[in-house]
Amino acid sequence: MNDVAAVYPEILVTVVAVVVLMADATLERRLAALLLPVITIAGLVAALASVFYVVPAGQYFRGFVTIDAFTSFFRAVFILLAIFAVAVSPAYLARRAVPPGEFYAIILFSTVGAMTIALSADLITLFIGLETMTIPIYVLAGIQRSDRFANEAALKYFLLGAFSSALLLYGFAWLYGITKSTDFATITGVLAAQGVANGQTIVALGLVTVGLGFKAAIVPFHQWTPDAYDGAPTPATAFMSVGPKAAAFAAILRVLVGAMGPLGVDWGAVLAILAAVTMTAGNVVALAQTNVKRMLAYSSIAHTGYILAAVAASKAGASASAAVLFYVFAYGLMNLGAFACLLYFDLEGTRGATLEDLNGFGRREPAGALALFIFLISLTGIPPTIGFVAKFVVIQPVLDAGLAWLAVVIALNAVLAAFYYLRVVVRMYMYDPSEKVPRLANTGALSAGLTVASLAVLVLGILPNSLYEWARQAALPLVR
Amino acid sequence: MTHVLSLLVVIPLAGLIPLFLFRRDERAVKQVAITTTAVELAVSLWMLSQFHVGEAGFQLTERVDWLPSLGITYFLGVDGISVLLVPMTTLLTFISVLYSSGGAIKTRVTEFMASFLLLEIGMVGVFIALDLFLFYVFFELMLLPMYLIIGVWGGPRRIYSTLKFVLFTLAGSLLMLVGIVAVYLASADASGARTLSLPDLIEARGRFSADFQFWVFLAFALAFAIKMPMVPFHTWLPDAHVEAPTAGSVVLAGVLLKAGGYGFLRFALPLFPFGVQAWLPLLILLSVVAIVYGAIVSAVQKDLKKLVAYSSVAHMGFVTLGIFVLNLQGGVGAVLQMLNHGFVTGALFLFVGIQYEKTHRRQIADLGGLANMWPLYTTFFGVFVLASLGLPGLNGFVGEFLVLLGTFRFSGVPLGGLFWGPLAATGVILAAVYLLWMFQRVMYGPVREAYKLLPDMTPLEVACAVPLLAMTVILGVAPQPFISIIEPSLDQVVRLATDPSFTVLAAR
Repeated sequence: MNDVAAVYPEILVTVVAVVVLMADATLERRLAALLLPVITIAGLVAALASVFYVVPAGQYFRGFVTIDAFTSFFRAVFILLAIFAVAVSPAYLARRAVPPGEFYAIILFSTVGAMTIALSADLITLFIGLETMTIPIYVLAGIQRSDRFANEAALKYFLLGAFSSALLLYGFAWLYGITKSTDFATITGVLAAQGVANGQTIVALGLVTVGLGFKAAIVPFHQWTPDAYDGAPTPATAFMSVGPKAAAFAAILRVLVGAMGPLGVDWGAVLAILAAVTMTAGNVVALAQTNVKRMLAYSSIAHTGYILAAVAASKAGASASAAVLFYVFAYGLMNLGAFACLLYFDLEGTRGATLEDLNGFGRREPAGALALFIFLISLTGIPPTIGFVAKFVVIQPVLDAGLAWLAVVIALNAVLAAFYYLRVVVRMYMYDPSEKVPRLANTGALSAGLTVASLAVLVLGILPNSLYEWARQAALPLVR
Repeated sequence: MTHVLSLLVVIPLAGLIPLFLFRRDERAVKQVAITTTAVELAVSLWMLSQFHVGEAGFQLTERVDWLPSLGITYFLGVDGISVLLVPMTTLLTFISVLYSSGGAIKTRVTEFMASFLLLEIGMVGVFIALDLFLFYVFFELMLLPMYLIIGVWGGPRRIYSTLKFVLFTLAGSLLMLVGIVAVYLASADASGARTLSLPDLIEARGRFSADFQFWVFLAFALAFAIKMPMVPFHTWLPDAHVEAPTAGSVVLAGVLLKAGGYGFLRFALPLFPFGVQAWLPLLILLSVVAIVYGAIVSAVQKDLKKLVAYSSVAHMGFVTLGIFVLNLQGGVGAVLQMLNHGFVTGALFLFVGIQYEKTHRRQIADLGGLANMWPLYTTFFGVFVLASLGLPGLNGFVGEFLVLLGTFRFSGVPLGGLFWGPLAATGVILAAVYLLWMFQRVMYGPVREAYKLLPDMTPLEVACAVPLLAMTVILGVAPQPFISIIEPSLDQVVRLATDPSFTVLAAR
């Protein structure tokens, strides 16, 4: 019974998903459009509360599930992101005739998968979680069946996703062969005893890194990201760009930093180079984009690089993992917000707004523009926003681990990023609306959601202590 | 325990609330902005009156845990170096807002005033923050409002200029952020506790190795050198000034540039004595180059505003020269020069703006003969021009004289002060050349037909100019009270910078 209590939040989210699907089938369409988001959000809020329902920290289901501060942190992050994603979607779904019941259910199922990653104490649990999270996202990417960009996005995402899952699974198999166990604690013990002694360990490590690298969109395994993000309907993109990425980093922390942590001393250098390449490539390509949605897609790759830099610095101890957690939270909030701001643009097709479409946005929709402004300066890393604090807490372990060059690369990359983020601000505030700007969607609910999120970005930027403290507590279980 | 410094941070923030409530009513918005900046000015003067002259340490300090997990504090305080810069900032902001409400800003007045209030928080905060983290937050807070002020209300090439300004500044400040984190990590004591508060860091600086200081000083120096700006990082300045609206130019030149010089004095010098020594020859060279180069380039400018902008580069050269000769005269001269430049160059930009509002011309060749029509304007403008070129009796002279005095006595770099001093002094002569030549071309000569009917200064414009004129004269005639405020604190900074084993308990 205690075992079941440990996964109450996951059960709750699953139940909500099923209720949503059933309600969608039984309710009248207009009523459904109105009620479904309410049911979804209410269910998620209940799940969020149940995260803090006290099950003593420890192992459950015979060591397949672990509940600790890390688990609670990521569960909360995933649920919050799902709430935010659902809250900004209804108007868009109605406009584009996307079936709302399926949309919300998919987000809920994916969230369950992500939460499962957070609580995994075993390679098998982790892999099941990863797949449960990813498969709904493939569907989400292609939910607009008649749109050929969406089809392309879904297919690309699916093929590369399946490919990377196979690589990851193959890596897990090697790991099992080496350690004769799928349990994280045992793996850590064996690896600590042997080190990177032989070729097999390197093969396993390489395969796992590549597999998880695909999921997190680390350069050079990022090729699917821009097309998938660009082709998917915008609310889906908003969720896709943060939920799965946060989950991928939860997996990276559990496997690379947790289970395979003893190898980190040697592996850190590789991750540091990958981080530098990822942030630079993401930013350089983002510079060349004229489509805001695609620009944000590339910029999300750059942010992957910043987070990976903290992973690479894991020999600095708990502060490195805490930095990953803090950055993931901050990134989730500001990136989801930035994508959601594109929902104002009621454009034909789904490919988002071009820079010209944003001309004079500041005058036409002051609240939305201000929110986007706040998200963008936060993504740039300028105080007083959460994005700045996140940069600060990432640079700290990076320097502590002796990677001064990487810290300088981060700083220079932030300048590159400032150029294209501020170019959007230029369009919003410093150009007059031209004649052919698109009609703006009339979305009171969207504005309300974005106002709350942008306020959170500011408040957590000014008073980040409790969040950082929480991230630090959550990082402790990883440091043995 | 007093909270006057926190009050200075809070007042502009509080002013944003009525500004937002009355956002549809342009007149009310202007009144709110004027009132808020006036209150801020009054409080800053009250703060000055509470300051104990003759003490070196930080006063009126406030310290609260902010990010206890990281050992970061909300720590405010002023000493002799910063206590004068704060009222200068609030005065220039008040004048800028007052002038802008007179009709210089015609569109989106609410947003403009809101930007100015946000800017004021950053500007005042920079001068009173004693925790490096907090300092960085305020330092960056100055950036975005100015970005909008230039980009939204600026001239034709405003977007290019504002992006250039932001990217230059960000490049420097983000590298400084890396430096700040490095200092933070290096500050760990035996128990592992880390800090970013200045007095604690000064005590901990014995643990900063010479090699460490070499790199971290470079990171800080880059940020401040870009902000000042020092040659060769000055190229953003003329562009930003030419495109910025008048009020933006006034505070950009008057206050934002000072953040760089202040940063050197407050953080870079006391924390990294070895780093200073290592980079000193280059910094002295760049300062003198800035003085001479800035003056020569000013002389050939065709655009009036660009001329004043380049003259800022030269004047900031005097500030950095005074800072890096590392003696009392030079340092006091540098702080006075910062104040003087704030009042005088702020005024010059104001007058270029007033003139432009009437004639809509800024090319020197298009102007001429204005003296015959505008006696009042000519008098004011003339005094500020004379102050800027360093006429004894006005404020510019005092600062530059002290800086040169300090330079002559200085021997820490190759060739010595007797080489660099006279070289820098040529800058004063060149300043007289380009400023008087400009004044002659703009104000004298035949009256142009097109300008015959243009009126002289309005009462509002006079009201904006009078406080600046008063400060110019007071600082020129009676600099001693100001020097005695600056001297004790500066003496300490010089000793910290020249003697790596010297530590003080700086807070009280």
